[in-house]
Order: sequence, then structure tokens, then C-alpha cells
Amino acid sequence: MLIAQITDLHIRMPGQKAYRVVETDRYLPPAVEALNRLDPAPTLAIVSGDLTDFGRPQEYAHLKRMLDGLRMPYFLMPGNHDAREELVAAFPDHPYLQGADGFVQYAVEDYPLRLLMLDTVVPLQSHGMLCPRRLDWLRQRLAEQPGRPTAIAMHHPPFLTGIAHMDAIGLLEGAAGLEQIVAAHPNVERILCGHLHRTIFRRFGGTVASTCPSPAHQVALDLRPDGPSAFVMEPPGFHLHEWRDGALVTHHAYIGEYPGPYPFHEGGALIDE
Amino acid sequence: MTDPVAITLSRCAKTWPDGSRALEPIDLQVQGGETLALLGPSGCGKTTLLRLVCGLEQADPGASIRFGDDEVSQLPPEARGVGVVFQSYALFPNMSVAQNVAYGLRVRDMPAAARDRRARELLALVRLDGFADRRIDQLSGGQRQRVALARALAIEPRVLLLDEPLTALDAKLREHLRVELAQMLRQLRVTTIIVTHDQDEAMMLGDRIAVMSAGHLEQVGSAEALYRAPASDFVAEFLGTLCRVRAGLRDGLLVPGDEALAFRPHEARLDAPRADALSARVLARFFLGGSVRYEIGLDDGQRFPVVAPAHSSHATGDAVSIALAGPRVS
Repeated sequence: MLIAQITDLHIRMPGQKAYRVVETDRYLPPAVEALNRLDPAPTLAIVSGDLTDFGRPQEYAHLKRMLDGLRMPYFLMPGNHDAREELVAAFPDHPYLQGADGFVQYAVEDYPLRLLMLDTVVPLQSHGMLCPRRLDWLRQRLAEQPGRPTAIAMHHPPFLTGIAHMDAIGLLEGAAGLEQIVAAHPNVERILCGHLHRTIFRRFGGTVASTCPSPAHQVALDLRPDGPSAFVMEPPGFHLHEWRDGALVTHHAYIGEYPGPYPFHEGGALIDE
Repeated sequence: MTDPVAITLSRCAKTWPDGSRALEPIDLQVQGGETLALLGPSGCGKTTLLRLVCGLEQADPGASIRFGDDEVSQLPPEARGVGVVFQSYALFPNMSVAQNVAYGLRVRDMPAAARDRRARELLALVRLDGFADRRIDQLSGGQRQRVALARALAIEPRVLLLDEPLTALDAKLREHLRVELAQMLRQLRVTTIIVTHDQDEAMMLGDRIAVMSAGHLEQVGSAEALYRAPASDFVAEFLGTLCRVRAGLRDGLLVPGDEALAFRPHEARLDAPRADALSARVLARFFLGGSVRYEIGLDDGQRFPVVAPAHSSHATGDAVSIALAGPRVS
């Protein structure tokens, strides 16, 4: 089972630039193309939030036209730039988005690795939270199939990254509760997150939590406590998670044309000229 | 299609890590080409059993799952040769009909030309020639169901598994699709297990039905055998309605007494009141088109339904006697 993760697409309308710099909608088609070209083909794709920049209906319609070019099933979840109602309305053919208890939370059951999608959104706020109701939902889902290998996906990562301006709008409530739940369920293989626009890993509740790069702009790597809120146009990327031999192996991949591939060997020996 | 294989389950149990038992050890055989319906209420273990066959769950040590002569219990799902139709996310809305059908082949790295050819063959098989390039939202519910079936069959599965395939649909469409699916399964002759909580679905689709409750098999047999000769109260009550009455029975007539009687609503007949019969009254009458359903009350407060032919004309409040006619549930 091969899961492609793309995240933080921040789709705006054609010609509109996010933060006066990035025409985000021009970056998604190459990402879709990169995923479609993968061989072996991904079993499915997850899109871990900040699907649009302002949660407007026309942004979702534009997003849908582009994502529908994926030749694999895809599963969506909201981030802090999204609006739940507009998202659900724009994807009527994705009934799982109806979610549970007013949140866009759902389980994907049909694959060897079970996926539990959590909604960390606080409407109109940049930070995220997991309230007791959302944590209860997770507890109940995990209790349903206690031994089954499971990955949790959510937009806001549940840990501090050291990028101060992002930590200020991180998962401000519920991380400790989540950690307790995860620690009690060793079958949670991974927590797959977005929000940070770059690859970061950390141990969390005995499992591994990760964040994924954006197919458009990346958050600047700046670990100074007073580092300003800023982004860079580093190469676009995505994650490819392979469920193999009972564990999840993650590859960070770049989107775009790069020289190569070049051979290492010639005539059975390393090239040395 | 290759020759159908039998599915043989031996000592298939499932215990969760917290010690709770999802399935007691189960022995079950599905004949080659047969459709077996796993029927039971939610939580009875039927979906867990399907997931064991599919390979999405591992059975407890000591279990054996054989497809024909091949032991598959240690194989991952993709190596078992199972085609699955799930209740959820039945089809991928962003992919065309042909891409949906070819999905499993693409994931298995079949070259593009070969998988297109295979997708078209399958679409012809489910009578959807000419729909290859349609979008999923351009299809009717019935057509979607056939695409889901074609997708499951595309990988030439040895075994077809259907998990509540009609549950998400509205009642009218379900009834129509049951007939269509039943015909298609008979024509395909691929060994099939279908999970359902709906007794009508199980009776129409299953060559045999395995009734499950609380993690174990209650009874396996044809719909008729289960209905006429249920092995337990659970089966009797799950397959159809069972009236339970404490009364006496003399020459087919309900009389005062204290025997535990059980019968189906259509096995009772309402007649004019008789001095020697148990005194009963019509509490309510519902005309249902093809039949009339009565709610009957006894003097001691017991109540039960009786189903009579459409021309039956007892009115609410009428005093009646009750006879038990025809072959009875035993």
C-alpha cells in the first residue's frame, strides 16, 4: 500500500498570488502530474489541509477541477485556511467529508493500514485544537479495532517544531490528550501532518509524527526564537509513505524536472573517472 | 474465469490485543462457485470474518484459511487474489469508469494497454460497454454498483467478497439491485462471500446463509432451511418475525394453557370466536396491499402480529379465535 501525501496547497484563483508572490494554483497541476507518473502507482492520496487559501467556494471549485485529475482516490481534510461548510459543499461526491459530530473526521477502513483523519480546525483562527469531543471520537475509533495498524492524519502537528512563528499557531489545545491516547495504542504507526510546509519528524506518544512539504511554497527554516513569519520558494515536494512489511517507510520527494537519473555503476564497478 | 475454488476456514478466531474476543473459533466451507451470505446484527463478527478472509486482519494463531488447496492465512491481502466491494467509498469519483475498473491492475503494475483491454472486457461483462470514459457522477446507482463489481473482478480474483454492498442505497433501489446482483453472481460463478445485516438481502443473494451472533456461527443452511427449521431462537427471530405466545394448542386451535408456542405471523389464521378457543381480539388492522397485518391481543395482555391474505376483513375490536395452519417453525 502506497500513500501519497500532499498538503498545504493554498489554492487561489488563476492569476491571484498568495502573499503577493505565489500563484499557488500553478503549482498543483505539476504535483498531480508527479503523483500520476509514479511507478508503482500510489494506492491513494491524502491531502492534509490548507486546501485553499481563503476557504471560498470558487477556490474549492478550482481545487476540485485540478485534484480530479489524480488517477488515484484522494481523501481530503481541512486546515486552518479552510472553511468546513464550503469544503463539504464543493465535494458532494466525497461523502466521507460529512464527518462526525460537526467535524470533518472520518476513518478510511478499506486498506491494510487504517487511516483516521482528525479535524484540528478552530474556525477563523490560525491555530489548531483537539477538543474533548474530537479526542473522544479518536478514542472510540481506536477502541473499535485495537490491534489494527493505523495512521492518524491531521493538519496541525501535535508538537513544537522550533520554528517559533509556526509554533505560535500550532496545536494549542489537546496535544497532551492526544499523546496519552496514542501512547496507549502501540498500533498507531504514524501521525501524518501538514501546516509546516516542510519535512520535520519527532517522536510523539511512542510513535513517529511527521510534517510534509507543500507543492508550492515552504516555510523558511529559521530556528531563532524571534524569527519572522516568512516563506521561501524551495523546491516543491510531497511525501510517499509505503506500508511495507508491517511498517510505514516514508520518502520525501521533490516535484519538478531535475538532471538525471545518472548511473552509479558501469561494467559492474563504480564509475571513477 | 478460472474454475471456482472452495474457501475453507478452520479454527478462525480473532482476539483483540485487549483480550476481547471478536470471533470464536469458526469452521466454515464455501463451495466453489457458491455465494454464501454472512448474516447477523452489527457487532456479531461478520465483517471481522470477512476481513480475515480478505487479509486485512490476521486470525489468531492456529487458524487456517484455504482457497482451494492453497493456504492463504499468512499472505498479505494483495497476494490472496481477492476482489472486494466495500460499502464505503465504493467508487473513486475523480476517476473515469475505466480508470476505476483498472485501479487494481494499475496498483499491480499491469501495463497500460493490457489494463485498458481488461477494463473494457469487464465493462462488457457487467453490460456497461460504451461507459468507459463516463464520470462516476454521470452513472445511476445501479450502474455504479456494476462498476464496483467490475473493479473487484478486474484482478481475476479467486474469491469475491462483498461487504454490505447495497447498504448505502435507498430502499427502492436496493430492492432492484438485489435482483440484478443475484443474477450476476449466478452467472459469474465466482466463489463469493457477502456480508449483510439485511435478511432479505441474505435470502436473495446467498445460495446458503451463515447466521452469526456474538462472534460465533449460529447456523448455516439454505434460506428455506433456516426459516423453516431454525436451530436456535436467535436464528428464528433474526430470520423473519417470530410470535411467542404462552397458550395451549389443541387440534391446531389456540386454547387456554401454558405451553411456550412459537410461530410465524402468516402461520396463524383468524376465525370467528369459539367458546372452546382462547379469547383474542383485533387491536389494530393494517392493509398492506398484498396482505393485511393484524395486531392481536389476548386477555392476559400478550400481543403478537398475524399476517393474513389481502381479502381478510376482521375489524379493529373484533373478537377472534386463532388457528395455527400449515408447516410450522420447529
